[in-house]
Amino acid sequence: MPLAHVAYLSLFIDWLFIDWKETRPEPRTAIVTHSQIVAARLALLALVLGAWEVLPRHGLINPLLLPPLTDVLAMLGDLLGRPTVHEAVAITAAEVVVAFIIAVPLGAAVGIVIAENEYVGDIFKPMLFYVFSIPKSIFLPMFILVFGIGFQQKVAYAAFTTAFVVMMSATAAVESVRSDHVLVARSYGATPTQILLRVYVPSMMPILLETLRISMIFNFTGVMIAEMYASRTGIGHLIANWGENFQMPQLFAGVIVLAAVAILFNEAVRALEARCSTWRT
Amino acid sequence: MQHVANLTEVHSRTDAVAIEVERLSHVYAGPEGGVPALQDISMSVGVGRFVVIVGPSGCGKTSLLMMMAGLRQQTEGTILCYGRPILEPDPKRVGVIFQEASLFPWLTTLDNIEFPLSLRGTPREERRRRSQAMLTLVSLEGFGERYPHELSGGMKQRVSIARGLVQDPPVLLMDEPFAALDEQTRMTMGHELLRIWSTTRKTVVFITHSLTEAVYLADEVLVMSARPGRIIDHIHVTLPRPRTYEMMATDVFGRLRDRIWQQIRKAA
Repeated sequence: MPLAHVAYLSLFIDWLFIDWKETRPEPRTAIVTHSQIVAARLALLALVLGAWEVLPRHGLINPLLLPPLTDVLAMLGDLLGRPTVHEAVAITAAEVVVAFIIAVPLGAAVGIVIAENEYVGDIFKPMLFYVFSIPKSIFLPMFILVFGIGFQQKVAYAAFTTAFVVMMSATAAVESVRSDHVLVARSYGATPTQILLRVYVPSMMPILLETLRISMIFNFTGVMIAEMYASRTGIGHLIANWGENFQMPQLFAGVIVLAAVAILFNEAVRALEARCSTWRT
Repeated sequence: MQHVANLTEVHSRTDAVAIEVERLSHVYAGPEGGVPALQDISMSVGVGRFVVIVGPSGCGKTSLLMMMAGLRQQTEGTILCYGRPILEPDPKRVGVIFQEASLFPWLTTLDNIEFPLSLRGTPREERRRRSQAMLTLVSLEGFGERYPHELSGGMKQRVSIARGLVQDPPVLLMDEPFAALDEQTRMTMGHELLRIWSTTRKTVVFITHSLTEAVYLADEVLVMSARPGRIIDHIHVTLPRPRTYEMMATDVFGRLRDRIWQQIRKAA
């Protein structure tokens, strides 16, 4: 349950600040300005947060299940001062980063090879696609048997789930390279290296950047699931523990911390994406 | 081999030969053995001539053009460009324009035009100077900083022509460059191409499905048969230059158009 909260909260905060217009091809006629839209979103946020405070306070929602916002924020302030929480955040972040660094090149390499090489693709694609469709969490007990319940297990499991996402996207990225662009470059005497750098890389860039962002979400989820399933540290472990002990203010405060970290990662990749995708049509 | 005799006559009428195709044949490797695609093609294109190749779909005319561009290897025969064989793409001798404008969507108009120069490490100022000149040549001043998705189909193809001309190759190969455009744009673009051709004096080999386009643009029209593609007729278009739209209504135009159609129908 806490994980679902993280996901919803992260989506919600993301939704608040996105300029949705950038995803529309045609600019809308300016009936509502962007600042008005942001104001409306902030009002909605205030409404939700206000309800979070008022409803449990007046007993309309059981405060044991949903503690009032100010109680949660007070707990958050308290938690942020605790060394154990600092340590947990640092470990979770390290797991996320290391898993990402392993999964992205690995998945990209496999994806590009199966997309570029017809024979390798024919042999491996069906198997990889079938495995991709299986919920990865069922493999978690095996990872625990092999890697224990420490740092390596979180990294291995998260990298495993993430590599599949990267692989699928990398395959799509290679397939998005248009053969007529390659032909044009060849006709102007481009060398294979020039074709790679001047045609393949820019053609694949929009999908690759999108992939980074999505794979980071999967990667973070992988670390969280592994931490909540069996662990001695990390935010996921703390949240699972608080949940089991019915410590709801701690639980919600933990969710806020986690959401902040997740959104930070997401926005970092999105900023990079925005800088590199001026040509996106 | 009547068409070969016919071509010899063309030789004597032009000063120099830009492209010479000698006994070219091509067989595709298929699952059930080889599929003959092109059969014993000989042709020659004089310097500065505008030669149009027409033929039914699948007759191998695009393959032939790709071979002239060095992008595909023929099974037999040779292609000489200014006396030297074409074995691989040589942008100094040959520029290619494709059916799709195939502009790179991540580059602006000017950067797209400069692409061939940038591959060869031409200094930036010179690239800009030459791409600006090309932009003027194709009447697209003011669109240099636009991205391809901001341009119309006709404008994209103008940029593609500018890109093909930027290295100033003596020969321009064009593979149905206007086929994806609507009829009106297509007529305008044909006329534009003749204007550009008359100022640059390139040798042009142009492939099309359109009989009207063929007669309107060409000095000479080569008609190809259905697969395996052979050259079955060689027609001199005697209409004076500069060509005007009014010529399309003349008897000469109609007779030439009709002759091409009869040949294609017979061969299909």
